[in-house]
Amino acid sequence: MKYMLMIYDNPETRSVFFGPDGDALMAEMDALMAELTESGELVSTDALADPASSKVVRVRDGVPAITDGPLAEAKEHFGGYLIVDCDSEARAVEIAARWPSAKFTAMEVRPILDISGEEM
Amino acid sequence: MTSTEDLLPTLAPQVLGVLVRRYRQFDLCEDAVQEALLAATAQWPGEGVPDNPHGWLVTVAARRFVDAVRSENASRRREERAAVLEEPLSGIESPQSDDTLSLLVLCCHPALSPPSQLALTLRAVGGLTTAEIAAAFLVPETTMAQRISRAKKTIRAAGATFGTPDDVEDRLAVVRHVLYLMFNEGYTASSGQVLARTELTGEAIRLTRMLRRTLPDDGEVAGLLALMLLTDARRPSRTGPNGDLVPLAEQDRSLWDATSIAEGTALVEEALARGALGPYKLQAAIGALHAEAATAEETDWAQIVGLYELLGKLSPNPVYTLNHAVALGMACGPRAGLDLLTTLDDERLAGNHRVAAVRAHLLELAGEPDAAREQYRIAARQTSSLPERRYLEGRASSTRAR
Repeated sequence: MKYMLMIYDNPETRSVFFGPDGDALMAEMDALMAELTESGELVSTDALADPASSKVVRVRDGVPAITDGPLAEAKEHFGGYLIVDCDSEARAVEIAARWPSAKFTAMEVRPILDISGEEM
Repeated sequence: MTSTEDLLPTLAPQVLGVLVRRYRQFDLCEDAVQEALLAATAQWPGEGVPDNPHGWLVTVAARRFVDAVRSENASRRREERAAVLEEPLSGIESPQSDDTLSLLVLCCHPALSPPSQLALTLRAVGGLTTAEIAAAFLVPETTMAQRISRAKKTIRAAGATFGTPDDVEDRLAVVRHVLYLMFNEGYTASSGQVLARTELTGEAIRLTRMLRRTLPDDGEVAGLLALMLLTDARRPSRTGPNGDLVPLAEQDRSLWDATSIAEGTALVEEALARGALGPYKLQAAIGALHAEAATAEETDWAQIVGLYELLGKLSPNPVYTLNHAVALGMACGPRAGLDLLTTLDDERLAGNHRVAAVRAHLLELAGEPDAAREQYRIAARQTSSLPERRYLEGRASSTRAR
């Protein structure tokens, strides 16, 4: 079963991770990633650049309108993700709880839609 | 002349069997056989299949194994492994018929999770490459390679050896279950776009046939093979042109594979006539009843209800209860099915979309479109399958007041 673990950030947490205390947090992250790679559970992971570099794209009446900045004015933003393929939701939640961002903001765990379907 | 693609899947477990019997070290032997198979894939189509393809593969794999042990020895524990290399390499042993069973039992080791058991079985017994297995499970090749290598390390750490373990009946139950999971992975693939997945059904059927040749008197192996054949027979009709799901009652039965149905039905009849009842045998018998009905209306629902009762007594499982409720709804009316659903209070099914989907179907039959629509919508939100979600949303919007 595949899950996306969505990492939420805010400007303060980003400065913590990239600041002087960030090394220990990054080490924690690297260790968890190494463990998930070794177990064969990690499918992919990426961090996103700052929301200030977002472009918002809308097509109305066939005409694309492109504006700057994040889609929603919110305190927290979608900062990156991990896709894991693991045995249960409980395991996906356990991984999310060990991702250091969970200590500051929140992680969201959601199943990825499967392209298979049972006979009805 | 037989082609390379036809030969290799049959030879793979035989060659691995010879190596594991000779050298014992499953993990290193498995790597060596995989390399020999790749070498054959590269060389045979151009140079022609050798006169003794089995011997060719054993020789190449043994050479690779020795190379691997030597390089491992160069760095550590030279003397401990040296003894292995002193055995003669010239003689080519003949394959033993129970090697496939031993390999299946080893790959389905209880220390491994079911997905790892599946991946390892496909590689070591099925002879599939890591890339092929990764494609079938829709994960990157590196991810699958890690899973397989970890599974082999686990088996090595568990000290598992080749041969028949003491708890053979328990282990055999795991083997059957892994083959059934392999089949389902392929069968539930929603359309022909995902060829790598649908090939899993063929592989599961091939391996189950192989197991049946080794254990011709095992009624549950026969039942499993029959269940696979009877289910796979419906594959051409279970999805529409866009990969949308077509329920059993609406499938075009002229598309069902008559050859598979004949073979599956004969297997069930033979298996039912002798030996104890088992869950696969009973499910196959239900499949045979569906297969022999010319139309959905002509299905012998009363007999299917009886078989579900037996199945529930023999191996209680909430999923059987759900199917039982559907059958009861058809045999005795939707109220009877809904009543059975109310008894279903199993935490294994908490939040499972199938409960709401079955309830919706029975409510629709009972002439309660509003309640049915609501249950279809609940089911649609609960499923994590794209084609199921499309199907259930479609049902919700087509359920109208009469």
